[in-house]
Amino acid sequence: MTDIAFLGDPAIKAQALVRLRSHIAAGTFVIFPAWEDGKANVIGALVEADDKQAFADQYGYPLALATTLEGIVNAFGFSPNAEAFVESLLERTPVGADLSRVVPQVLVYLLDRPDIVALTARHPEVEQCRRAIVALHQRLIAGDEPDRKEWKSARMASVAASDTITDDTLLHMASLIVEAAAWPATARSVLHDTLGACGRLESQKMMDLIGWTEADESRVFKIRDQAEADGRMAELEGLDRVLALLDHDDPELARGFRERLERFSKLGETYRTVGWKVVELVEQAPMPVSSGATTA
Amino acid sequence: MRNVTEQDFDEIVMKNDKPVLVDFWAPWCGPCKALAPTLDELAEEYAEEMEVVKVDIEANPALATRFGVRGIPLLMVVKDGAEQARTVGTISRSRLDAFVEANVGTAG
Repeated sequence: MTDIAFLGDPAIKAQALVRLRSHIAAGTFVIFPAWEDGKANVIGALVEADDKQAFADQYGYPLALATTLEGIVNAFGFSPNAEAFVESLLERTPVGADLSRVVPQVLVYLLDRPDIVALTARHPEVEQCRRAIVALHQRLIAGDEPDRKEWKSARMASVAASDTITDDTLLHMASLIVEAAAWPATARSVLHDTLGACGRLESQKMMDLIGWTEADESRVFKIRDQAEADGRMAELEGLDRVLALLDHDDPELARGFRERLERFSKLGETYRTVGWKVVELVEQAPMPVSSGATTA
Repeated sequence: MRNVTEQDFDEIVMKNDKPVLVDFWAPWCGPCKALAPTLDELAEEYAEEMEVVKVDIEANPALATRFGVRGIPLLMVVKDGAEQARTVGTISRSRLDAFVEANVGTAG
């Protein structure tokens, strides 16, 4: 694992683009599965296997980014948006660029987001942990390597701070973002977990906005499960059946559930924004002086 | 990371000198698959303090019954031949680290 884009070889970049474009042209570029029956997602299309480690090894993208990439691409929905995003990522990644600072840069970007800072500022310990973890990532960006004890200390303090929050859901979710980011960029799950926690905050804000609660969600599942048991409206399937059951049993709940579906189908803004941030950062990544790579 | 079975579970897990983190999983379980690389990292990081093993509950249903596994992924810490703690469901790397730290000890 080098974190040097396309291992400094323009032919590897060309191969990546050929593989991606051949799947797009054949209509076999999909969100899921990663690699099956000729269909491929972003990982499968480029390495012809469901193997994120191979993706990182063969193309020089940081493993933590490779581990998160499916989630980012999925947020763009079905083609052509997802296809265009992946094509942009590959095209705009300079051959030979040093990508080792991209993940800590994205983590700092997430931890410094104004909406997250506004939440962590409500709790002095959480805010202190956020600042400490940002500082560790900034040291990484500057070329320093904080040792594992420093990371562990920051992480345990952050988990302990999160556990003290019992009465503020949004603040608690922001504290989970902070603790998820308390790993060096070499940890494969750090970006995946941090972005996932950001996504859950986005979902919670949406639920709060439309007044949809966990109890409403449970009520929908209960009605569906009961129908599964007694066979009501078995002539319908999937979501159509759930909506018909709700219309019959609880029209107000049905209205709320339709709004929830509509709003949630548009979620993913955090992932999409981070996706474009990644493209911007890889495009600006420095070229190692000794690489001798040719840009393509 | 070793795969253990109904045949060798007691030998490898219950009689182990070190604490053991047991990952109950199944081939059809997406969250289990997502957790696997994190467990690989964890096994490497805590190699001196504990062993991490996997139990496929499809292939070893008696172990699922024996330990009352009702949801997966289920992670269980066994220490000195007895269950010390368990956690069920998807878990972040940081929470997993805190779980191990609380039930196994420090990796520095």
